[in-house]
Amino acid sequence: MIVLGFDTATPATAVALLDDTHPAAAAELRHEPAAGERPGHASQLLALAAQLLATTGLRFTDVDRLAVGLGPGTFTGLRIGVATARALAQSTSAELVGVSTLHALALPAESAAERAGADFGVLAVIDARRGEAFAAGWRGGRAVLEQVALAPAKLARRVAEEGGSWLAVGDGALRFRDDLERAGCTIPTDGSEQHAVSARAVCRLALEAPQGTARDLVVPDYLRPPDAVLASPPKKPSS
Amino acid sequence: MTLILALETSCDDTCAAVVSADGELRSNVISSQGVHDAFGGVVPEIASRHHLELANAVVDDALRRADATLDDVGLVAVTQGPGLVGALLVGVATAKAIAAARGLPLAPVDHLQGHIAANFLRIGADSGAGGIMAPPFVCLLASGGHTLLARVEQYDGFSVLGRTLDDAAGEAFDKGARLLGLPFPGGPALERLARDGDPHAFAFPIARNLDGLDFSFAGVKTSLLYRVRDLGPQDAAAHAADLAASFQHAIVEALALRCEQALEQTGLRRLAIGGGVAANGPLRTRLEQLAVTVGIPPRELCTDNAAMIASAARFVDAQPFPAYLSLDAYASGERALA
Repeated sequence: MIVLGFDTATPATAVALLDDTHPAAAAELRHEPAAGERPGHASQLLALAAQLLATTGLRFTDVDRLAVGLGPGTFTGLRIGVATARALAQSTSAELVGVSTLHALALPAESAAERAGADFGVLAVIDARRGEAFAAGWRGGRAVLEQVALAPAKLARRVAEEGGSWLAVGDGALRFRDDLERAGCTIPTDGSEQHAVSARAVCRLALEAPQGTARDLVVPDYLRPPDAVLASPPKKPSS
Repeated sequence: MTLILALETSCDDTCAAVVSADGELRSNVISSQGVHDAFGGVVPEIASRHHLELANAVVDDALRRADATLDDVGLVAVTQGPGLVGALLVGVATAKAIAAARGLPLAPVDHLQGHIAANFLRIGADSGAGGIMAPPFVCLLASGGHTLLARVEQYDGFSVLGRTLDDAAGEAFDKGARLLGLPFPGGPALERLARDGDPHAFAFPIARNLDGLDFSFAGVKTSLLYRVRDLGPQDAAAHAADLAASFQHAIVEALALRCEQALEQTGLRRLAIGGGVAANGPLRTRLEQLAVTVGIPPRELCTDNAAMIASAARFVDAQPFPAYLSLDAYASGERALA
Protein backbone atom coordinates (compact mmCIF):
# COMPACT_ATOMS: atom_id res chain seq x y z
CA MET A 1 0.00 0.00 0.00
CA ILE A 2 1.32 3.46 -0.98
CA VAL A 3 0.55 6.10 1.65
CA LEU A 4 0.99 9.83 0.99
CA GLY A 5 0.84 11.71 4.28
CA PHE A 6 1.17 15.34 5.28
CA ASP A 7 0.79 17.73 8.16
CA THR A 8 0.23 21.51 8.13
CA ALA A 9 -0.83 22.10 11.74
CA THR A 10 2.40 23.87 12.71
CA PRO A 11 4.26 26.53 10.67
CA ALA A 12 6.14 23.68 8.93
CA THR A 13 4.85 21.86 5.87
CA ALA A 14 5.76 18.16 6.08
CA VAL A 15 5.05 15.54 3.40
CA ALA A 16 6.02 11.86 3.40
CA LEU A 17 5.56 8.88 1.13
CA LEU A 18 5.48 5.39 2.58
CA ASP A 19 5.31 2.01 0.90
CA ASP A 20 4.15 -0.51 3.50
CA THR A 21 6.41 -3.18 2.00
CA HIS A 22 9.43 -0.99 3.00
CA PRO A 23 8.07 1.19 5.82
CA ALA A 24 11.56 2.06 7.10
CA ALA A 25 12.44 3.60 3.73
CA ALA A 26 9.68 6.24 3.92
CA ALA A 27 10.86 9.52 2.37
CA GLU A 28 9.98 12.91 3.80
CA LEU A 29 10.22 16.48 2.47
CA ARG A 30 9.76 19.54 4.67
CA HIS A 31 9.48 23.28 4.42
CA GLU A 32 10.22 25.34 7.51
CA PRO A 33 9.55 29.07 7.29
CA ALA A 34 12.54 31.25 8.20
CA ALA A 35 12.26 33.37 11.35
CA GLY A 36 9.60 36.04 10.77
CA GLU A 37 8.40 34.37 7.55
CA ARG A 38 4.79 33.20 7.21
CA PRO A 39 4.04 29.47 6.93
CA GLY A 40 4.33 28.17 3.38
CA HIS A 41 1.43 25.68 3.50
CA ALA A 42 -0.49 27.12 0.53
CA SER A 43 2.49 27.29 -1.80
CA GLN A 44 4.52 24.31 -0.51
CA LEU A 45 2.17 21.41 0.24
CA LEU A 46 1.18 20.17 -3.21
CA ALA A 47 4.53 21.13 -4.70
CA LEU A 48 6.40 19.00 -2.12
CA ALA A 49 3.95 16.13 -2.59
CA ALA A 50 4.40 16.19 -6.38
CA GLN A 51 8.19 16.38 -5.96
CA LEU A 52 8.19 13.40 -3.61
CA LEU A 53 6.05 11.34 -5.95
CA ALA A 54 8.20 12.28 -8.94
CA THR A 55 11.42 11.08 -7.26
CA THR A 56 9.89 7.61 -6.95
CA GLY A 57 8.28 7.63 -10.39
CA LEU A 58 4.76 7.64 -8.93
CA ARG A 59 1.73 9.77 -9.65
CA PHE A 60 -1.10 10.96 -7.41
CA THR A 61 -3.30 8.22 -8.90
CA ASP A 62 -0.86 5.57 -7.60
CA VAL A 63 -1.53 6.55 -3.98
CA ASP A 64 -3.73 4.05 -2.12
CA ARG A 65 -4.19 5.97 1.10
CA LEU A 66 -4.01 9.69 1.90
CA ALA A 67 -3.07 10.53 5.47
CA VAL A 68 -3.56 14.01 6.89
CA GLY A 69 -2.81 15.58 10.26
CA LEU A 70 -6.08 16.95 11.64
CA GLY A 71 -4.45 19.16 14.23
CA PRO A 72 -4.88 20.79 16.56
CA GLY A 73 -2.82 23.68 15.26
CA THR A 74 -3.01 26.74 13.05
CA PHE A 75 -6.54 27.02 11.64
CA THR A 76 -5.60 28.15 8.15
CA GLY A 77 -2.81 25.57 7.92
CA LEU A 78 -5.17 22.78 8.97
CA ARG A 79 -7.69 23.80 6.36
CA ILE A 80 -5.10 23.82 3.58
CA GLY A 81 -3.99 20.32 4.59
CA VAL A 82 -7.46 18.86 5.00
CA ALA A 83 -8.85 20.58 1.85
CA THR A 84 -5.90 19.22 -0.14
CA ALA A 85 -6.33 15.68 1.23
CA ARG A 86 -10.08 15.66 0.67
CA ALA A 87 -9.77 16.98 -2.87
CA LEU A 88 -7.00 14.51 -3.77
CA ALA A 89 -9.24 11.72 -2.48
CA GLN A 90 -12.17 13.12 -4.48
CA SER A 91 -10.11 13.22 -7.65
CA THR A 92 -8.50 9.77 -7.26
CA SER A 93 -9.78 6.57 -5.73
CA ALA A 94 -7.48 6.84 -2.69
CA GLU A 95 -8.76 6.21 0.83
CA LEU A 96 -8.64 9.08 3.29
CA VAL A 97 -7.45 8.81 6.89
CA GLY A 98 -7.15 11.70 9.34
CA VAL A 99 -4.76 11.38 12.28
CA SER A 100 -4.03 13.44 15.37
CA THR A 101 -1.13 15.83 14.78
CA LEU A 102 -0.25 15.56 18.48
CA HIS A 103 -0.09 11.77 18.19
CA ALA A 104 2.16 12.05 15.13
CA LEU A 105 4.37 14.46 17.10
CA ALA A 106 4.63 12.01 20.01
CA LEU A 107 5.07 8.85 17.95
CA PRO A 108 8.86 8.87 17.26
CA ALA A 109 9.68 9.51 20.95
CA GLU A 110 7.06 7.00 22.03
CA SER A 111 8.52 4.31 19.74
CA ALA A 112 12.03 5.07 21.03
CA ALA A 113 10.83 4.74 24.64
CA GLU A 114 9.17 1.44 23.82
CA ARG A 115 12.27 0.07 22.12
CA ALA A 116 14.43 1.11 25.07
CA GLY A 117 11.91 -0.33 27.53
CA ALA A 118 11.93 3.08 29.20
CA ASP A 119 9.10 3.98 31.52
CA PHE A 120 8.33 7.57 30.58
CA GLY A 121 5.30 9.14 29.01
CA VAL A 122 5.47 11.39 25.95
CA LEU A 123 3.72 14.74 26.12
CA ALA A 124 3.17 16.34 22.70
CA VAL A 125 2.80 20.11 22.98
CA ILE A 126 2.00 22.53 20.15
CA ASP A 127 2.14 26.29 20.60
CA ALA A 128 -1.51 27.36 20.34
CA ARG A 129 -0.70 31.12 20.43
CA ARG A 130 -2.50 33.49 22.78
CA GLY A 131 -0.49 32.06 25.64
CA GLU A 132 -1.93 28.56 25.38
CA ALA A 133 -0.72 25.11 24.38
CA PHE A 134 -2.42 22.25 22.59
CA ALA A 135 -1.28 19.07 24.30
CA ALA A 136 -1.90 15.35 24.69
CA GLY A 137 0.04 12.57 26.42
CA TRP A 138 0.80 8.89 25.75
CA ARG A 139 2.38 6.28 27.99
CA GLY A 140 3.05 2.65 27.11
CA GLY A 141 1.06 2.93 23.88
CA ARG A 142 -2.01 4.34 25.65
CA ALA A 143 -3.43 7.87 25.51
CA VAL A 144 -3.36 9.05 29.12
CA LEU A 145 -3.93 12.77 28.60
CA GLU A 146 -6.69 13.70 26.15
CA GLN A 147 -6.18 16.56 23.69
CA VAL A 148 -6.56 19.88 25.48
CA ALA A 149 -5.99 23.59 24.91
CA LEU A 150 -4.59 24.99 28.16
CA ALA A 151 -2.50 27.79 29.60
CA PRO A 152 1.02 26.44 30.35
CA ALA A 153 0.62 26.66 34.14
CA LYS A 154 -2.58 24.59 33.99
CA LEU A 155 -0.98 22.09 31.65
CA ALA A 156 1.98 21.77 34.05
CA ARG A 157 -0.47 21.06 36.89
CA ARG A 158 -2.22 18.37 34.84
CA VAL A 159 1.10 16.71 34.05
CA ALA A 160 2.19 16.84 37.72
CA GLU A 161 -1.16 15.30 38.78
CA GLU A 162 -0.67 12.52 36.25
CA GLY A 163 2.67 11.67 37.86
CA GLY A 164 5.55 9.59 36.47
CA SER A 165 8.32 10.91 34.28
CA TRP A 166 7.54 12.71 31.02
CA LEU A 167 9.37 13.64 27.87
CA ALA A 168 7.77 16.76 26.38
CA VAL A 169 8.22 17.47 22.65
CA GLY A 170 6.96 20.04 20.13
CA ASP A 171 7.22 23.79 19.54
CA GLY A 172 4.92 24.25 22.53
CA ALA A 173 7.33 22.34 24.77
CA LEU A 174 10.04 24.79 23.72
CA ARG A 175 7.82 27.83 24.13
CA PHE A 176 6.68 26.76 27.60
CA ARG A 177 9.88 24.98 28.61
CA ASP A 178 10.08 26.70 32.04
CA ASP A 179 6.57 25.71 33.16
CA LEU A 180 6.92 22.15 31.90
CA GLU A 181 10.39 21.58 33.34
CA ARG A 182 9.14 22.80 36.72
CA ALA A 183 6.43 20.13 36.45
CA GLY A 184 9.14 17.51 36.01
CA CYS A 185 9.14 17.13 32.21
CA THR A 186 12.36 16.40 30.35
CA ILE A 187 12.58 18.45 27.17
CA PRO A 188 15.09 17.72 24.37
CA THR A 189 17.40 20.55 23.29
CA ASP A 190 15.96 23.29 21.10
CA GLY A 191 17.36 21.98 17.81
CA SER A 192 16.23 18.38 18.33
CA GLU A 193 14.18 16.95 15.49
CA GLN A 194 11.89 15.39 18.09
CA HIS A 195 10.16 18.81 18.26
CA ALA A 196 9.02 18.63 14.63
CA VAL A 197 5.82 16.92 13.48
CA SER A 198 6.95 14.06 11.27
CA ALA A 199 4.91 13.28 8.17
CA ARG A 200 6.37 9.75 8.28
CA ALA A 201 4.61 9.37 11.63
CA VAL A 202 1.39 10.63 10.01
CA CYS A 203 1.76 7.86 7.40
CA ARG A 204 2.52 5.22 10.04
CA LEU A 205 -0.51 6.16 12.15
CA ALA A 206 -2.73 6.10 9.06
CA LEU A 207 -1.46 2.64 8.20
CA GLU A 208 -2.89 1.39 11.50
CA ALA A 209 -6.43 2.36 10.48
CA PRO A 210 -8.32 -0.73 9.25
CA GLN A 211 -9.96 1.35 6.50
CA GLY A 212 -10.46 4.88 5.20
CA THR A 213 -12.90 7.40 6.63
CA ALA A 214 -15.79 8.89 4.66
CA ARG A 215 -14.49 12.09 3.08
CA ASP A 216 -17.02 14.46 4.58
CA LEU A 217 -16.20 13.24 8.10
CA VAL A 218 -12.54 14.22 7.74
CA VAL A 219 -12.44 17.67 9.34
CA PRO A 220 -9.83 19.51 11.42
CA ASP A 221 -9.69 19.19 15.21
CA TYR A 222 -9.72 22.91 15.90
CA LEU A 223 -10.15 22.40 19.67
CA ARG A 224 -11.21 26.04 19.82
CA PRO A 225 -14.37 27.78 18.69
CA PRO A 226 -14.02 30.59 16.14
CA ASP A 227 -13.50 34.09 17.49
CA ALA A 228 -16.93 35.51 16.97
CA VAL A 229 -19.53 37.09 19.15
CA LEU A 230 -23.21 37.18 18.46
CA ALA A 231 -24.29 40.63 17.33
CA SER A 232 -26.43 42.56 19.72
CA PRO A 233 -29.86 42.61 18.12
CA PRO A 234 -30.16 45.66 15.85
CA LYS A 235 -31.48 48.68 17.71
CA LYS A 236 -35.02 49.52 16.69
CA PRO A 237 -35.44 53.24 16.17
CA SER A 238 -38.48 52.84 18.41
CA SER A 239 -36.56 51.36 21.35
CA MET B 1 -16.58 18.09 -25.35
CA THR B 2 -14.48 18.80 -22.31
CA LEU B 3 -15.97 20.80 -19.49
CA ILE B 4 -14.76 23.54 -17.15
CA LEU B 5 -15.24 22.92 -13.43
CA ALA B 6 -14.98 26.05 -11.26
CA LEU B 7 -14.92 26.81 -7.55
CA GLU B 8 -15.59 30.13 -5.82
CA THR B 9 -15.13 30.60 -2.06
CA SER B 10 -14.16 34.27 -1.70
CA CYS B 11 -16.76 35.19 0.93
CA ASP B 12 -19.56 33.22 2.58
CA ASP B 13 -21.06 31.27 -0.34
CA THR B 14 -19.51 27.92 -1.25
CA CYS B 15 -19.93 27.65 -5.01
CA ALA B 16 -19.12 25.19 -7.78
CA ALA B 17 -20.25 25.19 -11.40
CA VAL B 18 -19.79 23.40 -14.68
CA VAL B 19 -19.64 25.31 -17.97
CA SER B 20 -18.91 23.91 -21.43
CA ALA B 21 -15.79 24.93 -23.34
CA ASP B 22 -17.93 27.29 -25.44
CA GLY B 23 -19.50 29.01 -22.45
CA GLU B 24 -22.78 27.17 -22.04
CA LEU B 25 -23.96 27.01 -18.43
CA ARG B 26 -24.39 23.37 -17.37
CA SER B 27 -24.77 23.71 -13.60
CA ASN B 28 -24.40 26.39 -10.95
CA VAL B 29 -24.48 25.31 -7.30
CA ILE B 30 -24.44 27.91 -4.54
CA SER B 31 -24.46 26.81 -0.92
CA SER B 32 -25.26 29.87 1.16
CA GLN B 33 -23.93 29.26 4.62
CA GLY B 34 -26.71 31.22 6.32
CA VAL B 35 -24.90 31.08 9.65
CA HIS B 36 -23.54 34.62 9.69
CA ASP B 37 -26.76 36.55 10.12
CA ALA B 38 -26.70 36.15 13.90
CA PHE B 39 -23.29 37.81 13.98
CA GLY B 40 -24.44 40.88 12.05
CA GLY B 41 -21.98 40.19 9.23
CA VAL B 42 -19.72 37.55 7.74
CA VAL B 43 -17.29 36.03 10.27
CA PRO B 44 -14.19 34.99 8.26
CA GLU B 45 -13.23 32.03 10.49
CA ILE B 46 -16.77 30.61 10.41
CA ALA B 47 -16.96 31.12 6.64
CA SER B 48 -13.66 29.26 6.15
CA ARG B 49 -14.75 26.33 8.34
CA HIS B 50 -17.97 25.94 6.37
CA HIS B 51 -16.20 26.18 3.01
CA LEU B 52 -13.99 23.26 4.00
CA GLU B 53 -16.95 21.13 5.04
CA LEU B 54 -19.00 21.96 1.94
CA ALA B 55 -16.54 22.33 -0.95
CA ASN B 56 -16.28 18.68 -2.08
CA ALA B 57 -19.99 18.01 -1.77
CA VAL B 58 -20.77 21.16 -3.73
CA VAL B 59 -18.38 20.02 -6.48
CA ASP B 60 -20.07 16.59 -6.54
CA ASP B 61 -23.44 18.30 -6.80
CA ALA B 62 -22.32 20.59 -9.63
CA LEU B 63 -21.00 17.60 -11.60
CA ARG B 64 -24.16 15.57 -10.97
CA ARG B 65 -26.41 18.41 -12.10
CA ALA B 66 -24.30 18.78 -15.24
CA ASP B 67 -24.71 15.03 -15.80
CA ALA B 68 -20.91 14.76 -15.81
CA THR B 69 -18.03 13.24 -13.86
CA LEU B 70 -14.50 14.47 -13.25
CA ASP B 71 -13.50 12.39 -16.30
CA ASP B 72 -15.36 14.93 -18.47
CA VAL B 73 -13.49 17.89 -16.97
CA GLY B 74 -10.64 19.37 -19.03
CA LEU B 75 -9.96 22.51 -17.03
CA VAL B 76 -10.34 23.44 -13.36
CA ALA B 77 -10.88 27.11 -12.48
CA VAL B 78 -10.86 28.87 -9.13
CA THR B 79 -11.21 32.34 -7.65
CA GLN B 80 -7.71 33.41 -6.58
CA GLY B 81 -8.77 36.77 -5.08
CA PRO B 82 -9.71 39.31 -3.93
CA GLY B 83 -11.72 38.23 -0.90
CA LEU B 84 -11.32 36.75 2.57
CA VAL B 85 -7.95 35.07 2.29
CA GLY B 86 -8.74 32.13 4.61
CA ALA B 87 -11.91 31.46 2.66
CA LEU B 88 -10.17 31.76 -0.72
CA LEU B 89 -7.46 29.33 0.38
CA VAL B 90 -9.98 26.52 0.86
CA GLY B 91 -11.15 26.89 -2.73
CA VAL B 92 -7.62 27.28 -4.08
CA ALA B 93 -6.31 24.20 -2.19
CA THR B 94 -9.32 22.14 -3.31
CA ALA B 95 -9.12 23.19 -6.96
CA LYS B 96 -5.36 22.67 -7.14
CA ALA B 97 -5.61 19.17 -5.66
CA ILE B 98 -8.50 18.10 -7.90
CA ALA B 99 -6.55 19.31 -10.95
CA ALA B 100 -3.13 18.00 -9.85
CA ALA B 101 -4.43 14.51 -9.12
CA ARG B 102 -5.47 14.26 -12.78
CA GLY B 103 -2.71 16.33 -14.36
CA LEU B 104 -5.32 18.88 -15.53
CA PRO B 105 -4.55 22.55 -16.19
CA LEU B 106 -5.75 25.17 -13.70
CA ALA B 107 -7.09 28.66 -14.43
CA PRO B 108 -6.75 31.15 -11.56
CA VAL B 109 -9.47 33.78 -11.91
CA ASP B 110 -9.87 37.27 -10.47
CA HIS B 111 -13.21 37.56 -8.66
CA LEU B 112 -14.09 40.88 -10.31
CA GLN B 113 -13.17 39.57 -13.76
CA GLY B 114 -15.54 36.73 -12.89
CA HIS B 115 -18.44 39.12 -12.26
CA ILE B 116 -17.79 40.74 -15.65
CA ALA B 117 -17.55 37.33 -17.35
CA ALA B 118 -20.99 36.35 -16.01
CA ASN B 119 -22.16 38.34 -19.04
CA PHE B 120 -20.36 35.98 -21.42
CA LEU B 121 -22.31 32.90 -20.30
CA ARG B 122 -24.72 31.25 -22.68
CA ILE B 123 -27.86 30.27 -20.84
CA GLY B 124 -30.38 28.02 -22.53
CA ALA B 125 -30.92 27.46 -26.23
CA ASP B 126 -32.01 31.00 -27.15
CA SER B 127 -28.86 32.86 -26.10
CA GLY B 128 -26.51 33.85 -28.89
CA ALA B 129 -22.86 32.89 -29.19
CA GLY B 130 -21.88 36.13 -27.42
CA GLY B 131 -23.77 35.29 -24.25
CA ILE B 132 -25.75 37.91 -22.35
CA MET B 133 -23.54 40.75 -23.54
CA ALA B 134 -20.35 40.90 -25.60
CA PRO B 135 -17.64 43.59 -25.30
CA PRO B 136 -17.36 46.50 -25.54
CA PHE B 137 -19.53 47.69 -22.64
CA VAL B 138 -19.42 49.53 -19.34
CA CYS B 139 -19.90 47.29 -16.32
CA LEU B 140 -21.06 48.37 -12.88
CA LEU B 141 -20.11 45.90 -10.14
CA ALA B 142 -21.80 46.61 -6.85
CA SER B 143 -21.85 44.19 -3.95
CA GLY B 144 -21.19 44.05 -0.22
CA GLY B 145 -17.46 43.91 -0.86
CA HIS B 146 -16.91 45.84 -4.09
CA THR B 147 -18.16 48.87 -5.98
CA LEU B 148 -16.44 49.42 -9.28
CA LEU B 149 -17.08 50.83 -12.76
CA ALA B 150 -15.19 48.95 -15.44
CA ARG B 151 -14.63 49.53 -19.12
CA VAL B 152 -14.77 46.14 -20.82
CA GLU B 153 -13.24 46.13 -24.32
CA GLN B 154 -12.25 42.49 -24.47
CA TYR B 155 -13.12 39.13 -22.97
CA ASP B 156 -9.97 38.78 -20.88
CA GLY B 157 -9.60 42.02 -19.01
CA PHE B 158 -11.07 45.34 -17.95
CA SER B 159 -9.90 48.80 -16.99
CA VAL B 160 -11.15 50.53 -13.86
CA LEU B 161 -13.04 53.76 -14.53
CA GLY B 162 -13.95 54.41 -10.91
CA ARG B 163 -14.26 52.69 -7.57
CA THR B 164 -15.57 53.43 -4.12
CA LEU B 165 -13.28 55.40 -1.87
CA ASP B 166 -14.84 54.03 1.31
CA ASP B 167 -17.82 51.68 1.78
CA ALA B 168 -19.11 49.38 -0.95
CA ALA B 169 -22.68 50.06 -2.07
CA GLY B 170 -23.93 46.78 -0.62
CA GLU B 171 -22.16 47.54 2.63
CA ALA B 172 -23.94 50.94 2.74
CA PHE B 173 -27.26 49.14 2.26
CA ASP B 174 -26.43 46.73 5.09
CA LYS B 175 -25.30 49.48 7.47
CA GLY B 176 -28.29 51.67 6.62
CA ALA B 177 -30.61 48.73 7.23
CA ARG B 178 -29.02 48.18 10.62
CA LEU B 179 -29.59 51.83 11.55
CA LEU B 180 -33.25 51.28 10.67
CA GLY B 181 -33.49 48.22 12.88
CA LEU B 182 -33.47 45.66 10.05
CA PRO B 183 -31.58 42.35 10.33
CA PHE B 184 -28.44 41.39 8.34
CA PRO B 185 -28.22 41.08 5.36
CA GLY B 186 -30.02 44.37 5.15
CA GLY B 187 -30.20 45.13 1.41
CA PRO B 188 -33.31 43.11 0.54
CA ALA B 189 -35.06 44.05 3.82
CA LEU B 190 -34.38 47.73 3.22
CA GLU B 191 -35.71 47.46 -0.34
CA ARG B 192 -38.94 45.88 0.96
CA LEU B 193 -39.39 48.56 3.64
CA ALA B 194 -38.70 51.28 1.06
CA ARG B 195 -41.63 50.16 -1.11
CA ASP B 196 -44.05 51.92 1.24
CA GLY B 197 -41.94 55.05 1.56
CA ASP B 198 -41.42 58.33 -0.26
CA PRO B 199 -37.94 58.49 -1.86
CA HIS B 200 -38.08 62.29 -1.72
CA ALA B 201 -39.15 62.63 1.91
CA PHE B 202 -35.57 63.15 3.07
CA ALA B 203 -32.58 64.50 1.17
CA PHE B 204 -29.42 62.39 1.54
CA PRO B 205 -26.10 63.33 -0.08
CA ILE B 206 -24.99 61.45 -3.20
CA ALA B 207 -21.34 62.56 -3.44
CA ARG B 208 -21.86 64.32 -6.78
CA ASN B 209 -18.75 66.43 -6.44
CA LEU B 210 -16.15 63.68 -6.33
CA ASP B 211 -13.55 63.86 -9.06
CA GLY B 212 -13.81 61.39 -11.92
CA LEU B 213 -15.99 58.33 -11.62
CA ASP B 214 -15.26 57.31 -8.05
CA PHE B 215 -17.97 56.63 -5.49
CA SER B 216 -18.36 57.42 -1.80
CA PHE B 217 -21.04 55.98 0.45
CA ALA B 218 -19.71 56.95 3.86
CA GLY B 219 -21.49 60.33 3.73
CA VAL B 220 -24.94 58.96 3.00
CA LYS B 221 -24.60 56.44 5.80
CA THR B 222 -23.49 59.10 8.34
CA SER B 223 -26.28 61.35 7.16
CA LEU B 224 -28.83 58.61 7.85
CA LEU B 225 -27.30 58.06 11.28
CA TYR B 226 -27.75 61.76 12.16
CA ARG B 227 -31.24 61.87 10.69
CA VAL B 228 -32.36 58.89 12.77
CA ARG B 229 -30.80 60.43 15.87
CA ASP B 230 -32.33 63.89 15.24
CA LEU B 231 -35.79 62.46 14.65
CA GLY B 232 -35.70 60.54 17.90
CA PRO B 233 -36.86 56.97 18.34
CA GLN B 234 -40.57 57.59 17.90
CA ASP B 235 -40.43 59.76 14.78
CA ALA B 236 -37.71 57.63 13.21
CA ALA B 237 -39.90 54.55 13.63
CA ALA B 238 -42.90 56.40 12.22
CA HIS B 239 -40.86 57.46 9.19
CA ALA B 240 -38.86 54.24 8.77
CA ALA B 241 -40.27 53.54 5.28
CA ASP B 242 -39.59 57.11 4.12
CA LEU B 243 -36.07 56.96 5.54
CA ALA B 244 -35.44 53.64 3.78
CA ALA B 245 -36.85 54.88 0.47
CA SER B 246 -34.87 58.15 0.59
CA PHE B 247 -31.67 56.37 1.61
CA GLN B 248 -32.07 53.80 -1.18
CA HIS B 249 -32.85 56.60 -3.63
CA ALA B 250 -29.55 58.34 -2.76
CA ILE B 251 -27.50 55.18 -3.34
CA VAL B 252 -29.31 54.31 -6.57
CA GLU B 253 -28.87 57.87 -7.86
CA ALA B 254 -25.18 57.86 -6.98
CA LEU B 255 -24.69 54.60 -8.90
CA ALA B 256 -26.84 55.71 -11.87
CA LEU B 257 -25.12 59.10 -12.09
CA ARG B 258 -21.69 57.51 -12.40
CA CYS B 259 -22.95 54.94 -14.93
CA GLU B 260 -24.37 57.77 -17.04
CA GLN B 261 -21.08 59.68 -16.85
CA ALA B 262 -19.09 56.55 -17.67
CA LEU B 263 -21.20 55.86 -20.76
CA GLU B 264 -20.82 59.48 -21.86
CA GLN B 265 -17.10 59.50 -21.27
CA THR B 266 -16.42 56.23 -23.11
CA GLY B 267 -18.98 56.75 -25.85
CA LEU B 268 -20.20 53.19 -25.22
CA ARG B 269 -23.89 52.44 -25.54
CA ARG B 270 -24.11 49.29 -23.51
CA LEU B 271 -24.16 48.79 -19.77
CA ALA B 272 -23.91 45.55 -17.80
CA ILE B 273 -24.38 45.24 -14.06
CA GLY B 274 -23.25 42.60 -11.60
CA GLY B 275 -22.82 41.97 -7.89
CA GLY B 276 -25.50 41.47 -5.28
CA VAL B 277 -26.74 45.06 -5.50
CA ALA B 278 -27.74 44.35 -9.12
CA ALA B 279 -30.72 42.53 -7.62
CA ASN B 280 -32.09 45.86 -6.33
CA GLY B 281 -35.33 46.60 -8.20
CA PRO B 282 -35.20 50.42 -8.17
CA LEU B 283 -31.57 50.30 -9.39
CA ARG B 284 -32.56 48.09 -12.34
CA THR B 285 -35.48 50.36 -13.20
CA ARG B 286 -33.35 53.48 -12.93
CA LEU B 287 -30.55 52.08 -15.13
CA GLU B 288 -33.02 50.94 -17.76
CA GLN B 289 -34.01 54.63 -18.12
CA LEU B 290 -30.50 55.52 -19.28
CA ALA B 291 -31.49 54.98 -22.93
CA VAL B 292 -28.76 52.42 -23.58
CA THR B 293 -28.79 48.63 -23.81
CA VAL B 294 -28.69 47.27 -20.28
CA GLY B 295 -27.62 43.68 -19.59
CA ILE B 296 -28.43 42.17 -16.24
CA PRO B 297 -27.61 38.49 -15.70
CA PRO B 298 -30.15 36.41 -13.73
CA ARG B 299 -29.92 37.03 -10.00
CA GLU B 300 -27.98 33.80 -9.24
CA LEU B 301 -25.31 34.92 -11.71
CA CYS B 302 -25.13 38.45 -10.22
CA THR B 303 -24.36 37.39 -6.67
CA ASP B 304 -21.22 35.35 -5.97
CA ASN B 305 -21.20 32.15 -8.04
CA ALA B 306 -18.75 29.79 -9.70
CA ALA B 307 -20.35 29.83 -13.16
CA MET B 308 -18.91 33.30 -13.70
CA ILE B 309 -15.48 31.98 -12.68
CA ALA B 310 -15.76 29.16 -15.22
CA SER B 311 -16.86 31.71 -17.82
CA ALA B 312 -13.83 33.91 -17.12
CA ALA B 313 -11.56 30.84 -17.22
CA ARG B 314 -12.32 30.45 -20.94
CA PHE B 315 -10.34 33.63 -21.56
CA VAL B 316 -7.42 33.49 -19.11
CA ASP B 317 -4.15 31.66 -19.72
CA ALA B 318 -4.60 28.36 -17.91
CA GLN B 319 -1.50 27.03 -16.16
CA PRO B 320 -0.52 23.50 -17.17
CA PHE B 321 0.27 20.86 -14.52
CA PRO B 322 2.53 21.24 -12.49
CA ALA B 323 3.04 25.01 -12.93
CA TYR B 324 0.25 25.95 -10.50
CA LEU B 325 1.21 23.78 -7.53
CA SER B 326 2.58 26.79 -5.62
CA LEU B 327 -0.36 29.05 -6.48
CA ASP B 328 -1.47 31.17 -3.50
CA ALA B 329 -4.59 33.30 -2.94
CA TYR B 330 -4.54 37.11 -2.76
CA ALA B 331 -6.75 39.12 -0.44
CA SER B 332 -6.95 42.57 -1.99
CA GLY B 333 -6.57 44.56 -5.16
CA GLU B 334 -7.94 43.64 -8.53
CA ARG B 335 -6.13 42.30 -11.55
CA ALA B 336 -7.31 44.92 -14.00
CA LEU B 337 -5.48 45.79 -17.19
CA ALA B 338 -2.63 48.22 -16.58
